[in-house]
Amino acid sequence: MIRMLLRVLGHRYARPVRRTVALMTATAVAEGLSYALLVPVLRALLGSAPADAWPWLGAFGAAVAVYAVLRYRSDLSGFRVGTTMLRGMYHRLGDHLARLPLGWYDAGRVGEVSVLASRGVLQAMSVIAHLLAPFIFASVTPLTIVAVLLVVSWQLGLAALVAVPVVAVIQVWTGRRMAATDAQRHERDREATERVVEYLQAQPVLRAGGRTEERFRLLDDSLREVQRVSRRGTLSTLPAVVGVTLVVQAVFTALSALGVSLALSGSIGVAELLTALVLATRCADPLLSLSDIGGKLRGARSVLARLDAVLRTEPLPRPREPVEPAGHDLAFESVTFRHGDRAVVDDLSLSVPAGQRLAVVGPSGAGKSTLLQLIARFYDVDAGVVRVGGTDVRAVDPEALMARIAIVFQDVYLFDGTIEENVRLGRPDADEAEVRVAASAARLDEVVERLPGGWAAEVGEGGALLSGGERQRVSIARALLKNAPVVLLDEVTSALDPINEAAVHEGVERLMAGRTVVMVAHRLRTVRRADRVVFLDGGRIVEDGGHDELLRQGGRYAEFWHLSTAPVTSG
Amino acid sequence: MTGVEPAVAEGKSPTRPYWWTFAVVVLLQLVGAVAGLAPLLAVVELGRVLLSAGPVDHDHVRLVVIAGAAGLFARLVLTAASSGIGHVLDDRVQLSFRRRLAARLGRVPIGWFSRRRTGELAKVVGEDISAVHPFIAHAPGELVAAFAVPLVSLVYLFGIDWRLTLITLIPVVLAVALVPLMMTPARLREQREFDAGMGRIASSVVEFVQGIAVVKAFGGTGRAHREFRVAADDFVGTFNRWARGMSGPAAAMQLALSPPFVLLVVLSGGALLIGGGGLAPADLLPFLLLGLGLTAPVAALGHGFDDMRAARRAVGRIREVLDVRPLPRPANPVTPQGHRVELRDVRFGYEADHEVLRGIDLVLEPGTVTAVVGPSGSGKSTLVQLLPRFFDPTGGSVTIGGVDLRELDSRDLYRTVSFVFQSTSLLRATVAENIALAVPEADFADVVRAARLADIHDRVLALPHGYDTVLGEQARLSGGEAQRISLARALLADTPVLVLDEATAFADPRTEQAVRRALAAVKGDRTVLVIAHRLETISDADTVVVLEEGSVVERGSPAELLAHDGKFAAFWESHRSAVAEEIERRGDAAR
Repeated sequence: MIRMLLRVLGHRYARPVRRTVALMTATAVAEGLSYALLVPVLRALLGSAPADAWPWLGAFGAAVAVYAVLRYRSDLSGFRVGTTMLRGMYHRLGDHLARLPLGWYDAGRVGEVSVLASRGVLQAMSVIAHLLAPFIFASVTPLTIVAVLLVVSWQLGLAALVAVPVVAVIQVWTGRRMAATDAQRHERDREATERVVEYLQAQPVLRAGGRTEERFRLLDDSLREVQRVSRRGTLSTLPAVVGVTLVVQAVFTALSALGVSLALSGSIGVAELLTALVLATRCADPLLSLSDIGGKLRGARSVLARLDAVLRTEPLPRPREPVEPAGHDLAFESVTFRHGDRAVVDDLSLSVPAGQRLAVVGPSGAGKSTLLQLIARFYDVDAGVVRVGGTDVRAVDPEALMARIAIVFQDVYLFDGTIEENVRLGRPDADEAEVRVAASAARLDEVVERLPGGWAAEVGEGGALLSGGERQRVSIARALLKNAPVVLLDEVTSALDPINEAAVHEGVERLMAGRTVVMVAHRLRTVRRADRVVFLDGGRIVEDGGHDELLRQGGRYAEFWHLSTAPVTSG
Repeated sequence: MTGVEPAVAEGKSPTRPYWWTFAVVVLLQLVGAVAGLAPLLAVVELGRVLLSAGPVDHDHVRLVVIAGAAGLFARLVLTAASSGIGHVLDDRVQLSFRRRLAARLGRVPIGWFSRRRTGELAKVVGEDISAVHPFIAHAPGELVAAFAVPLVSLVYLFGIDWRLTLITLIPVVLAVALVPLMMTPARLREQREFDAGMGRIASSVVEFVQGIAVVKAFGGTGRAHREFRVAADDFVGTFNRWARGMSGPAAAMQLALSPPFVLLVVLSGGALLIGGGGLAPADLLPFLLLGLGLTAPVAALGHGFDDMRAARRAVGRIREVLDVRPLPRPANPVTPQGHRVELRDVRFGYEADHEVLRGIDLVLEPGTVTAVVGPSGSGKSTLVQLLPRFFDPTGGSVTIGGVDLRELDSRDLYRTVSFVFQSTSLLRATVAENIALAVPEADFADVVRAARLADIHDRVLALPHGYDTVLGEQARLSGGEAQRISLARALLADTPVLVLDEATAFADPRTEQAVRRALAAVKGDRTVLVIAHRLETISDADTVVVLEEGSVVERGSPAELLAHDGKFAAFWESHRSAVAEEIERRGDAAR
């Protein structure tokens, strides 16, 4: 546990953590040892000279004071280490997330990482601040008490000592058993959550089909499954929980029986026996709380494991001696890129001379967008080389590479802020006039005029307060402002209505002027403006040439073209 | 439990059937906890017997040890039973709450979803319901035990010696006295800052992660990343201040409740009283053994506090969902005559002060296609969503076959209206189930026919198990294929009124073609309303309606509107060159 924590955090935290653990252990030992003083105190109080108890009581008071100081210091140390590690963890995670390849961020990751980076980190770090101390107290104090017992009465001590491995074994066994059901429960919960999300997202379809009136079977099955697994988990861990209690109680009963018979035979004094039994009751509660703490520790551990998995994901390597690309031409040389065991791009070669426009066409899933992403190095290729200006993109400094490329995506993400801030993202040091020029070229100025607040209008989280077309104009203005020599367009207009499409087209035309362009599109109107068209299917180039040339060839591209332009009545 | 109750705003409490079981859980826990005092009392009795002068009665001693063991065993059995029943009960209550939430979410207006994140709602159904767990399975039983046991002990101890009892209570009083120190305004403010800081971290990380593509593309990594760092540092700062402020009182409280301190107090008091001759030495034992248990309520309160707070917040979120008013159902449903759709002075606003539709009058005749065009934000999507009753209009009425939608039984409505391409979400279920989503009782032959018409049949046959392939598990479809499945879905539903939203881009030309063909094939007597994005659709329509800022500004056949030389004509003009070129190309291709 601690080892994993340190691996996740980095080893510079090893010393403070070890010191904290040592302090906590010392506190627990101090507590256990202080109980040894109960023997003389009780002997005096229960015997004939109760006044003799005072010096011993004084000593016990001193021991309690020592315990109090140790405890305060170890609590403080736990908090301090906890917060330092919390900060360290946040920074480490943030730095790492910024360096991970874009390909790593798929749809499911966004939710997972958000939870992990906020509550998850806190939960993992609470191990040191909140869980470690109870855990150490609950295991070290009883052990110390056993040692004290050995001194008080070797017979009773020995009996307690024999019980130690039994209790330990059953605790471990219970822990394993619970971990197994926890994992199962987690799995079912995850499935049920997926079903709920599916149910919510499919609401329009489900309602249109009148399917929400009765219980929706797919969802209800998984909810019932959650209940079933949870119940089975409860019932299967019950023997384990009962087992721990049973063993602890059996040991206590055995100790009292043994103690009584020893006292009756005169082997130990009554004061010793009673102290021993008081101490034995002191052991029982912490031991029983161990399984509760164990459950929380397991929860924290699974979060830690997920953090560990994220932090161990390798970011794209940075070049040791970055090369500056010479020129703005693009080239793919025998590039293969795999997603799992499927080759998304399969031994593909291609080149785009500087200032030319290449259109990429093909059925959905053909690998068109991946091609764009490889140029911008969202991923690294599995084989072959992608070159910008003759230089392998892997040899270029990532920031320098990005500085040469402007990308416009189909789905535009805007940051929660004003329109102006979002446009300025293209070039933060641009002056007022430059921003205005880019905006009017993208026909964003008419949007700004319409909005209350104008340039200072807030766009909402993800740009939710703007329509798709308006967001797209912001992103084109952003790209225009960036003024990069290479432009990548990914289905820029396919989700827009005709009026927005017309506006966006104008902006795109201005964006493409004089630049090296690679565009993915299936609105073939857009494609005709390209110098060259490649038809992609299954990650390979099937056809390659000018629009008219391909149309004349009568192949796949021509078929596509006819499909999208043929009159309806022909079907 | 009381915390859960108000969550149920209307109707019978879903927890009511479980009250008896619940009472049993608490009772078992209570009896078990009190039985747990037996071994302690046995030790006390042993002390008395052994310390008393004269010969020891061996049988009595044996009996005492056995009684102690029996008490322990009773506690074990009773608390285990209580915990087992409690958890099983908890699972059932959770299931009934989840079902209730699902049922409610299936009836709230669709518009309500658009302003909420799916993930957050899923969290309410999942995590938040689970967070209520301690309320049901743990808190009541444990709290009752935590208070009952000390109470019983107190009564017993008072019976032995009231002075020493009061002394024994000193640690508890000290601990309680420290509570206000932990609740000072500064502490409470820090607590609020703490929650707010966590929220900031969460939203900055969401932005950071969701916008990562943009961030990387524009080299803004530093910026978004910085925001996350700042949020994290602020949070850690707050946490630190809070922890520092808390550590003093918290440590003092911990110490006051710690066994060594309690023992020290009891022993000192005992020494005083025994020395003064006011207490029999044997009477000190019960205080040593039971005194430690008196601190339990304070510890239990502190212990369960965080969980309870989290549970209360969760209940708040659950209640918020359960309190959403669903679209009302008609008391006396009327059956529509025909499928002529009429909108009369329809008004609608998502918020009270902002109308999206401002008095729309529109008649959709059977056998015609009506195309709605207009700039984004003109209210097109809202307009078409009124037909499948995703919302009710705030003014005016929508009628089908002469019947107001609000008077229509929902089954009749869904048999009349279907919605294409509003969402292409496929379920993790078989292909056949996905196609038959709206008509679960459909024949397999009909499913196949719909699939053929949607040009997806061949692709389905190529899947590992054909129509029985579970999507998302055994096979993944491309975007275009998913769209064709959802087309097949609408074709199978075969409703007389069809609403189509072209806002979703067709993933590829083949899908576009499939849709156009299918629509031409099924047109017949249908009433079709389409948000048109493609020029072809517009020119093929019988009627075009131009929407602007929630009002109809022009309407008529495409030819009429062109002649009218208004907004539509202007829009058409801007596209004419493109269209002309295209028609020319079509001609080329035909040759």
